[in-house]
Amino acid sequence: MTFFNTDITWFLDVYILLILGYAILIMSSYLILAYLSQKELRGYLKKNSFVDYEVLLTSEFAPKLSLIAPAYNEGFTIEENVKSLLSLNYNNYQVIVVNDGSKDNSMEILVKTYDLVLTDLDIHPKIETKKIKGIYTSRNAAFKKLIVVDKENGGKADALNVGLNIAQNPYVVCIDVDCILDKDSLLKLAKPFLESQGKRIIATGGVVRIANQCIIKNGRLVEVNIPDVMLPRIQVLEYLRAFLLGRMAWGRLDGLLLISGAFGAFDKEIAILAGGYSTKTVGEDMELIVRMRRYMLENKLPYAVSYIPDPLCWTEAPEDFKIFKKQRSRWMRGTIETLSFHKRMFLNPKYKLLGMLSVPYWTLFEFLAPGIEFIGLVITFIFIIFGLLNWHFFFLLLLFVYSFAVFFSVIALFSEERTYHKYPKQADFFKLLMAAFIEPIYFHPLTVYSALIGYKEKIMGTKGWGEMTRKGFTKK
Amino acid sequence: MNLWELYKSGEWEIPFLTFSIYLFVLASFVFYLLIVASRNRNIKREKLRNEYNELIEKVLSSVIFEDVLYAEIKKDKNFMVLFDTSFFRTVLTETLINLHKNYEGIYAQKLEQFYKDSGLIKDSFKKLKNFSWEIKCKGITELAEFNINEAFDQIIACTKARNKTLKITAINAGIKLEGVKGIVHLTEHTDIIDEWTQVNIISAFKKHDIGDTKGVELLLESQNTTVVSLGLKLIKELKLTQKVPFVAELSTKAPNTIIKYEAQSVLQALTI
Repeated sequence: MTFFNTDITWFLDVYILLILGYAILIMSSYLILAYLSQKELRGYLKKNSFVDYEVLLTSEFAPKLSLIAPAYNEGFTIEENVKSLLSLNYNNYQVIVVNDGSKDNSMEILVKTYDLVLTDLDIHPKIETKKIKGIYTSRNAAFKKLIVVDKENGGKADALNVGLNIAQNPYVVCIDVDCILDKDSLLKLAKPFLESQGKRIIATGGVVRIANQCIIKNGRLVEVNIPDVMLPRIQVLEYLRAFLLGRMAWGRLDGLLLISGAFGAFDKEIAILAGGYSTKTVGEDMELIVRMRRYMLENKLPYAVSYIPDPLCWTEAPEDFKIFKKQRSRWMRGTIETLSFHKRMFLNPKYKLLGMLSVPYWTLFEFLAPGIEFIGLVITFIFIIFGLLNWHFFFLLLLFVYSFAVFFSVIALFSEERTYHKYPKQADFFKLLMAAFIEPIYFHPLTVYSALIGYKEKIMGTKGWGEMTRKGFTKK
Repeated sequence: MNLWELYKSGEWEIPFLTFSIYLFVLASFVFYLLIVASRNRNIKREKLRNEYNELIEKVLSSVIFEDVLYAEIKKDKNFMVLFDTSFFRTVLTETLINLHKNYEGIYAQKLEQFYKDSGLIKDSFKKLKNFSWEIKCKGITELAEFNINEAFDQIIACTKARNKTLKITAINAGIKLEGVKGIVHLTEHTDIIDEWTQVNIISAFKKHDIGDTKGVELLLESQNTTVVSLGLKLIKELKLTQKVPFVAELSTKAPNTIIKYEAQSVLQALTI
């Protein structure tokens, strides 16, 4: 019995040490990343105040871009969304809308609105894709930038690969057709490609923000609001934390593993040489960046991935838990698949910072974190059942994690206030502050639960995206 | 008990957690106060800016349309009290620059005279000497906007800066003040002039409508291939057909195939 008690005490000590160690490690990494992000952000904003993006508007040397917008059952909004893509502030660009076998009337709307006719475009596909049914261009000179591809359904990655095959310009910008882009977004996204000094810029990404309850007019965001519904409201805060306090630092370290699929630009040649988007994962955006980086490192080609902290793209966040769960479980599956495809990079010095820091960080804090939390919860329940739980310690630990989560959200709000100040209304600020207090007890458990569903789906071999319905933006 | 003893006794967890919780709560509160202070400061500044703008617009419209000189404005005590505050001078300089961009000829000259008489020019020169690159950039932008040619040499010295933003601002200012003279010194530069800088330089030529392009061909003789590339782009974009012989010569003895190809492409564009 004494031996058993000694064993239990030892196990408890180790367990407490492990839990605290993991929590301290994750919190310190967040704070270090936040510090680096702030430093980088301040530098960027200082520089940016002297940058005249309009020089790109009149220059024939501006990088030529092809926008690829995959569309699946977007008939409700496609007319306006394509119109907004065609009216961006940029000269050297074309818009490729890939209709991925929509079951609705998307194609009919596009043909009618943009006066489309079938065309014989000379293409030499470098990436294998599903069959293309037809390529359309407009008879109307006002829409000469537009190419519409009608293809068999093959998923988002397949549609993006069709776009890569058809794109005539050296840089491609992959976007979600339902995103609202800032008018100058392409100017900002293109600039890093001109700034390479000895290193090839293979991709640039911008910040994505939540547009729920914002006012949209003619495909442009005219008024920023904070959603009244708690789930999307906390996602506003979550995106601020991720983009302002996280990715900027990874950008500075050149260890960015993800450029959001909603809005990112790529060097087409490298994207194709790396094999294009993988149709074997639902995390095709992250997987492509990792593969492009891997291609450059394995071929010893100097490169960089650039990151722009300006809010350039606004997207709709899920408002009900069912859709949210689908989205987050898919994100988890995407993470697991990407990390598993590229497992040889894990702690492999050949892949430099990527192998030694980025991949281990994602493995430990993105992939494993929900699992570790779940195991912790199970062990805690076992302790309760056997009367082993030190309640005082348990509540202190909960408060420790809770207070840190609130603190980190307040840092994100501070950062937003001192930089972009997109939420000037007092009421909006207090809504976000309230969200900071609710996030750890309401939103975080939901994300952990969704991630666990993602684990389960991965184990069960679930494939595909599942139906993602959207409510649509508020229009003026 | 010191920290090490606390750790050795194995009872460090509770004090550690308690201390951390207090720390996070306190830090959250401090950040909250900082946010509130920042928001209040912004509101106050915005209010002040609107007030200042009203007065500044009145003063500057009298300078432009009623030929009022600074000597007369100086007599207004209220104006002079405000003029001593740095934020007022910042708003005044910004408004002056915006107006100067919108006016030409005699009106622009009156604004330039006001800039000199009021002593704002001294502020700009001070900024130019500042160690911080962003303040230097502000000074350069102001001096170039008001065509202060005396600042040219100091501005050109900044083109050798390591900071790229400062470099671009200085080159653009140099072009505005002295045209081609603002870039010929680049032939001696060893740093890479990236494409973004090149696009800015070309844009400055177009924006300031630099007519006299004598000397652009000197860029083609640089040992720095990025400077040669800039020269070729300028010749192509500004359609300088008179420079064709220099481009033709370059295409025969180009330092590398990229330049050779670029030169041939410029020749093709200008001769067809």
